[in-house]
Amino acid sequence: MAQESVLPRVAAQLVTTKRSAFRRHEAILGWLLVTPALVIVLGMVGYPFLEAVRISFTDKMIGMGAGRWVGLSNYEYIIGWPAFGSMVMRTVAFTIAAVFIKTIVGLILATAMNQEIPFRNVLRGLFMLPWILPTYIIVLVWRWIFDGQTGVMNQILMGWGLIDTNVPWLARPGMAIALLIFVMVWKGYPFYALTFLAGMQTIPKDLYDAAAIDGAGRLASFRYVTLPGLRQIMGVVILLSTIWTMNSLEIPMLLTNGGPSNATEVFPLLTYHLALQNFRLGEGAAVPILMLPIIAALVITVAHYMDREATQ
Amino acid sequence: MTALFDRIPNSAFRVISIVIVTAVFLIILFPLYFMLTTAFKTEYEIYTAFSWFPRNPTLDNFVQVITQFNIPLYIKNTLIVALTTTSIVVIVSVMAGYSLTRLRFPGRAILARGVLFVYLVPGALMLIPMYLIIVKLGLQNTYLGLILANMSFAVPFCTWLMMGYLRSISAEIEEASLIDGCTRLMSLWHIVIPLSIPGIATAAIFIFNGVWNEFIFALILSQDASRRMISVGLSNFYRVDIYMVGPMMAGSLFAMLPVVILYILAQRYVVSGLAAGAVKG
Repeated sequence: MAQESVLPRVAAQLVTTKRSAFRRHEAILGWLLVTPALVIVLGMVGYPFLEAVRISFTDKMIGMGAGRWVGLSNYEYIIGWPAFGSMVMRTVAFTIAAVFIKTIVGLILATAMNQEIPFRNVLRGLFMLPWILPTYIIVLVWRWIFDGQTGVMNQILMGWGLIDTNVPWLARPGMAIALLIFVMVWKGYPFYALTFLAGMQTIPKDLYDAAAIDGAGRLASFRYVTLPGLRQIMGVVILLSTIWTMNSLEIPMLLTNGGPSNATEVFPLLTYHLALQNFRLGEGAAVPILMLPIIAALVITVAHYMDREATQ
Repeated sequence: MTALFDRIPNSAFRVISIVIVTAVFLIILFPLYFMLTTAFKTEYEIYTAFSWFPRNPTLDNFVQVITQFNIPLYIKNTLIVALTTTSIVVIVSVMAGYSLTRLRFPGRAILARGVLFVYLVPGALMLIPMYLIIVKLGLQNTYLGLILANMSFAVPFCTWLMMGYLRSISAEIEEASLIDGCTRLMSLWHIVIPLSIPGIATAAIFIFNGVWNEFIFALILSQDASRRMISVGLSNFYRVDIYMVGPMMAGSLFAMLPVVILYILAQRYVVSGLAAGAVKG
């Protein structure tokens, strides 16, 4: 009797120790495999970021030793600086304009590519090119095209007799802003068009047939079938692209470098100019930290969407 | 307006689509066409006598780029950094991706979520931090400095990509191998990695491209000519007032070659990676 009642208990205990050993083994292996990536991320992202936060409270300059603790004075200086407010507004305006245009171009192009048009696959490959090619090359080529002296655009328009003197495209504030947005759209729209097209192709044909039976025309079926079907994808794409567009340094740096007269000085450029051209690391480090609330809000929102999508 | 739009017959709508596609197509080709043709033009044709097509095609720009401007050295530097970064990051990220999707252990959920957050951290935030850490480590103008800097965005990105890919592979085959007596590491090596080759290829292509095309870290971390990256070397053709357009275009063609070849050979992987939100831009 006694033996009979003990045996299952012993067996059960054996199973649990075995299972917990297995669990422990798995936990050790899990941490071991993740450690190299963790070390790289902590060492090359986490620690440097904290170091930059610390530097933003000092007056450190490049080549001038450690710098003294100055409390919040870098932040006070930058916030109190009239140009900072207009720089924030400019960054936000650029981002909204570029993202809006990319969305529209992406939607139009995806709709067009969703028709039966000749050479569709070849065209799709070509339309992706701007996204694949090195940004710096693309920007340098556009800068040469719109060069105020001997640029391609001036030479073409002169040849056609449309202008008689060179147009200083990138030296006029309005034009420089428009061209910066144009190059950002040129470089960034393929991501929109491709993801929207992929999204459109997952919308069941039945929905369009049903809408047609209900008397929906082309616009109505776009409004009531296509757009709702794309809502999830559009949300993620627009948020992701907002983060990247807002933080884009390469395009403005190489196209206009903030000029003419600061018309295109967006926040990543201001950071670069303060810290690495004027050597004022403390002040330069403070600029992105002041932009952090906006960026963090965007990152947290899009992470929430992407996480849900990935684990579904 | 709505009625008007709806009354367009399907055939006309298709024509409108073709017109739009053609227009976008021309705007895409415009700068690429001038890059290609300008590389073969003489200085006179570039700056003075404009032509749509090179009248006296010349290879001078290519010769100059190779013999006078160190472009072969910059390409070698960039290849060393890009290939090393890609190999290390692929290994590290496959391990991390496997651990975070297939193994159960305390802390896993937080780490998995952290990967996404770090991947989303924009480069502009990392500009000063990266400069500070590389200077502190004394790694300015070294391959190691550039490799470490590039790993900062490549590791989270590649881990995120691998996690997505591994989730799409059924766990059943692996479970069967475990029941048959495989250890976790054996099944990772013999089962999971062979099944993940397309995902690994996508990740490797994107990392290579990302490092090959990288400009900002290269600019702030490695100005010295002996360790200069191709991106910085080419952008130096545009000084404030002196443009060397011919050599710049010829050099750009060299710099674009590996990217375009990879794209043509592996378009399927590239497109699937893009759809996953791969490259920041």
